[in-house]
Amino acid sequence: MALFKRTTKDLIIKIDEFFDNVELGLLVFRESMKSYIDKDMEAFNRHLQKVDTLEGNADKLQRSIENEMITHSILPQHREEVIRLIDEIDEIMDTVKKSLNEFIIEMPEIPAALNKDIVSLADASASAAEELIPAARAYFITPYTVREKLLKVYYFESETDKIAIRTKKRIFQEMNEIDLAHKAHLRYIIHHIEAISDMAQKAADRLAAMAIKIVI
Amino acid sequence: MILFFLTSGLFLGWSLGANDASNVFGSAVGSKMITFRKAAIIASAAVILGAVLQGAGTSDTLGKLGAVNAIGGSFTLALAAAVTVYTMTKFSLPVSTTQAIVGAIIGWNLFTGNRTDSGTLSKIVFTWISGPVLGALFAVLLYILIVKIKKASKIHLFRFETFLKAGLIAAGAFGAYSLGANNIANVMGVFVPAFNLQEIDLGIITLSSAQQLFLLGSIAIAAGILTYSKKVMETVGANIVELSSEAALVVVLAQSLVLFIFSSSGLSNFFVRIGLPPIPMVPVSSSQVIVGCVIGIGLWKGARNINFRLLGEIGIGWIATPIMSGLLAFFSLFFVRNIFNIDVGQKVIAGAAPDPVVTSDPAVSEIVRYILLAVLITGFIVALYYYLLDRKKKRELRVSEDKFWHYLK
Repeated sequence: MALFKRTTKDLIIKIDEFFDNVELGLLVFRESMKSYIDKDMEAFNRHLQKVDTLEGNADKLQRSIENEMITHSILPQHREEVIRLIDEIDEIMDTVKKSLNEFIIEMPEIPAALNKDIVSLADASASAAEELIPAARAYFITPYTVREKLLKVYYFESETDKIAIRTKKRIFQEMNEIDLAHKAHLRYIIHHIEAISDMAQKAADRLAAMAIKIVI
Repeated sequence: MILFFLTSGLFLGWSLGANDASNVFGSAVGSKMITFRKAAIIASAAVILGAVLQGAGTSDTLGKLGAVNAIGGSFTLALAAAVTVYTMTKFSLPVSTTQAIVGAIIGWNLFTGNRTDSGTLSKIVFTWISGPVLGALFAVLLYILIVKIKKASKIHLFRFETFLKAGLIAAGAFGAYSLGANNIANVMGVFVPAFNLQEIDLGIITLSSAQQLFLLGSIAIAAGILTYSKKVMETVGANIVELSSEAALVVVLAQSLVLFIFSSSGLSNFFVRIGLPPIPMVPVSSSQVIVGCVIGIGLWKGARNINFRLLGEIGIGWIATPIMSGLLAFFSLFFVRNIFNIDVGQKVIAGAAPDPVVTSDPAVSEIVRYILLAVLITGFIVALYYYLLDRKKKRELRVSEDKFWHYLK
């Protein structure tokens, strides 16, 4: 029985470690965006490598958590939901890595006028995902506080949307000096950054429902 | 021949095990917190212990309601109760073995011209109502307590769930013990006044005549649990678990407490010592107590979808079961006495000590001794077999895990 083994303790540590990885990944994402805007490619590459390692760790931890929860029949009633939540949070890390890879492959040229917008977009999007982590941690300890914590996720997600729309409007309506292909490329890059907060919102919706279920 | 007469009681015990074990381990098995195999082994051992160590109190009460003083009578009553339980279950009506056996005893009283002790009867009927009510009360109190502890301790969900799992197993074992102690009277109570077996000295304890009967009855209950309760456990579990895992634990615990209270003579004596009225030692229906517990929690949580139809069906069961069983017992006794020419008991003369028709038969006690030995050996072999099987499975799992992580690297 799990009570008399280290399984439960190990699993708690693994979940915490998983969240730590994601939080760190988001922090590095923020920094890497700043490096890209500052055209410091060396730092950007270093950050990308770090994100790659963190994403790999998160993947391993996710598999291990899923495996142990099933093998040791831990939390049988809510297991499926917890596994899906962790899967969705892992997808955030995947999206972070994918976005940074898009930058290194496509090397989008960001006009200087958009520097501030892109940095705030990346900030807001990463914040939405970052705010998800304390809420997800709270699910396991104080589930009745999850919903209030999630409010910040929704706030930053809507901020991301607003910044993205504003930036896209600027690109397509005000910046006549760049050609349509460049505009389309920038829109594509913005979509990628936005995707992080969208994923966070999706996970937040699931977490909100899970929290109600566990509290009732 | 004597053992043949016990078969109806053993059949009743088997059906009780098949149906009622789900009340104590259903939530744990249904939620997959514990495997059926483990639950069945724990429940079987606990039922036997409860019946042998603490089964006397409730049997005495049934004895006061009607001291069936012929083995033919005991056989017929247990059969009538078993047929009633089987028929009502067939028509999906909530049925209690307790109510069936009480009805059958009243039927015997009517047939033999014995007076039914209205005091004892009212005491029994009172517990049929107070059992579920007390269950609901206990469930609400325990639920409040557990939720408060959970909130205050800020315990990790995984750790809490692990404690719950251990709690469900402990509460299930306690529930099975209480079930054995409380409900063995339904199975063997009618045989107790008619039997007078030789004591068996086991060194540590001495099994009296009644305890030997309880042992046989509880083995029948254990057989019911092991052979037929899996499906019932999974169904009941799925229904109860809808509440939440802590509510599931509370329901099992509250139900076990109610069964324990109504079968613990020690607790009753303690009540008397501190100046409170004694607790009646009466067999109560575990299924009805569990419904009381679930409704109690439902009401506390503000649920509006209480199934009043189910409550109505239980109410009908309270009346229909004893009547059906009583009538069946009455007519069966008539046939057994007049057609098969078997003594089914006679009127007890006031003031005279009940005279058991079956006197000491060393052969029966010898058989009981062998059965006990066989059960112990079988139990040991089965436990060892499953332990080794479990170990093998775990080893295979570990090998497959290692392979998985090795290739993933």
